[in-house]
Amino acid sequence: MKADDRLRLAATDDNVRRETVARFLDWLKRRQRTAPPETALPDDPQTGAREVALDEDLAARFRRAATTVGMNVHTAMLSDWLDVVGELLQKHEARSAAIPAAGDGFFEAERVEQLRQRLTGEGIATQSDVDDETLFSVDVAITGVAAAIAEHGSLVCESQPGVARGSSLIPPIHIAVVAVEQLLPDLCDYFDGLSKRSGLPAAISLITGPSKTADIEGVLVTGVHGPAVVDVVVVRPA
Amino acid sequence: MSVTKSEFRQRIAAGIADERVIRAVHQATLHKVDAAAEALAELSDREGLRELAAQIKQHLLENLPEYLEQFVRACERRGTRVHFAADAQAACEIICAIAHGSGSELAVKAKSMATEEIRLNDALQAAGVRTIETDLGEFIVQIDHDRPSHIVTPIIHKDRRQIAQALVRETGCDYTEDPEELTAIARDYLRDIFRRCDLGITGANFAVAESGTICICTNEGNGRMSTTRPRVHVALVGIEKLVPRLRDLPVFLKLLARSSTGQPLTVYTTLITGPKRPSDRDGPEQLHVVLLDNGRSEILGGPFTEVLRCIRCGACLNACPVFRNIGGHAYGSVYPGPIGSLATPLLSGINEHAELPRASTLCGACQAACPVKIDLPGLLVKLRAQTRARQPLGKRLGMNVWKRLMQSPALFGWGQRVLRWMLPGGDDGWISSGFGPAGAWTKVRDLPRPPERTFRERWREGLDDEG
Repeated sequence: MKADDRLRLAATDDNVRRETVARFLDWLKRRQRTAPPETALPDDPQTGAREVALDEDLAARFRRAATTVGMNVHTAMLSDWLDVVGELLQKHEARSAAIPAAGDGFFEAERVEQLRQRLTGEGIATQSDVDDETLFSVDVAITGVAAAIAEHGSLVCESQPGVARGSSLIPPIHIAVVAVEQLLPDLCDYFDGLSKRSGLPAAISLITGPSKTADIEGVLVTGVHGPAVVDVVVVRPA
Repeated sequence: MSVTKSEFRQRIAAGIADERVIRAVHQATLHKVDAAAEALAELSDREGLRELAAQIKQHLLENLPEYLEQFVRACERRGTRVHFAADAQAACEIICAIAHGSGSELAVKAKSMATEEIRLNDALQAAGVRTIETDLGEFIVQIDHDRPSHIVTPIIHKDRRQIAQALVRETGCDYTEDPEELTAIARDYLRDIFRRCDLGITGANFAVAESGTICICTNEGNGRMSTTRPRVHVALVGIEKLVPRLRDLPVFLKLLARSSTGQPLTVYTTLITGPKRPSDRDGPEQLHVVLLDNGRSEILGGPFTEVLRCIRCGACLNACPVFRNIGGHAYGSVYPGPIGSLATPLLSGINEHAELPRASTLCGACQAACPVKIDLPGLLVKLRAQTRARQPLGKRLGMNVWKRLMQSPALFGWGQRVLRWMLPGGDDGWISSGFGPAGAWTKVRDLPRPPERTFRERWREGLDDEG
């Protein structure tokens, strides 16, 4: 068998592929230096890497950090979050919006319904069962988040049934609704929680600002492939 | 790709002559250095974090086979297909075979240095798979038939006029020099590609052994697009990219963007664990991880192991007074900058790139900037020693004479007198020409004329001339 054929087979035949990987690992182990490894793995990287104390004012820190990276942070109460979201859509002159599925963070089924009615009342077309093609055509996507991190002002979107990867990515404007209880202090806290879960979602996106580039002469431009505008509505209990 | 000494010199001469590029590179890198310094100063214990990052990576490298094994098991558990490629050719063949096997005709690529290293685009094109770069800078490089000159900012060497001309040629758009409009033109063009593509190719900034997770950091969102739209996702991952645990990632994420562009975090940090679940709405149905060796296992365990700690932030390029003034093209190395002067010879042959480790002033600015504390100047010196046999006979003889001179006080004193005769100096108090080999040395360097009498002469006379 020619070398090329073997490689093609390795790419398409699962058994050949696994065998190739196993052979390499065996070889690497055998040629490893006999000297015992010297560098210990730090038990708890959090001790050295934590920037935000657990008792800091998380909402204030989140607002400061998220604003610095170019997101617009708005505050709402449980009693008026719909008004705040509605006003944002008006400001953006949105004609159509992708709305979240029930279970996407803040959005319990009842709140999704409230949102739908509100938008329909304002003449905005709502798309709930979003496929990718819909996402390419709507003006705005409204989503919940799995968590938000105060340290850098990051939103965490996790793929799950009903929650598409593309919602927070493809439409030009992203409005994320965050319940204040969803705020975590530090990046370390999110990853600590993640490592304790039994299964991980297929895709997790940490979003820290609008899509941006400075490739052309160092000039900052927002909205390259992702949204140019990210509005975050932080909802406090009434 | 072997680079001869005269080619190397010519390339550098051309690089130095291009004033526009030098100005652009200088401005951009200085800005980045300032931004990075500011961002790193925000950390409560910058040094502690660097130490932690260095320690985790060093531990990983010392135990790499075990962690790779763990990574492969975790991947297979979640339905990710792991491949192994011993060299660039194998990696290209495997990825082309995956493309053919899945009937892919249009591939999108997120920015990845590893795919540059193996020249994947050429291989895919030869295999009949149209491949489009989706990072704005890389896209411009591609349509302008150029090569990236910086790890993070690939078109740092181009101005807006060149970018506008390339876009007009490729897309037929109206000419504009406004960066915002230029970006919008590229966005629209690439959106159409994203809608139709069937293969997504990315690198990985990190791969997590315990969970089989791939971590991709981008600012534009192309990394997310490339892992959302296509049916098949292939990630090319150097075997040194692993970190042991999910809990280790924040240590590196907090350093990577700060060191690179001065951002606290890249806009998008994407964590991919396995292909799309059956109940998920979107995402690739197949996920392939191609583990790339291509010379890395040869470095592992040897005196240059710590080179493999590199997280490709580009801080050493920005900090380097040489690269700040010439740009990454000049040295003809896939990985530019001080880390490239180590990685390129180590990965693709010391003898082919013997000049690279010598093209450094060893000032140490790169080491001070490195988030994983790689001893770049120390390793450059070590690498120089390994290529000693390749030096021309004249230089080797010269260095031997130098060694003898420096070891004998009598010869040293004699040498000082000879040198004074060989470097007479001009009337202005500066030496700018000389006889014999000293003449070559002064061609690009001026030095002040030495004092009338040497320290040793004065010492012998009891330093009485100074009182």
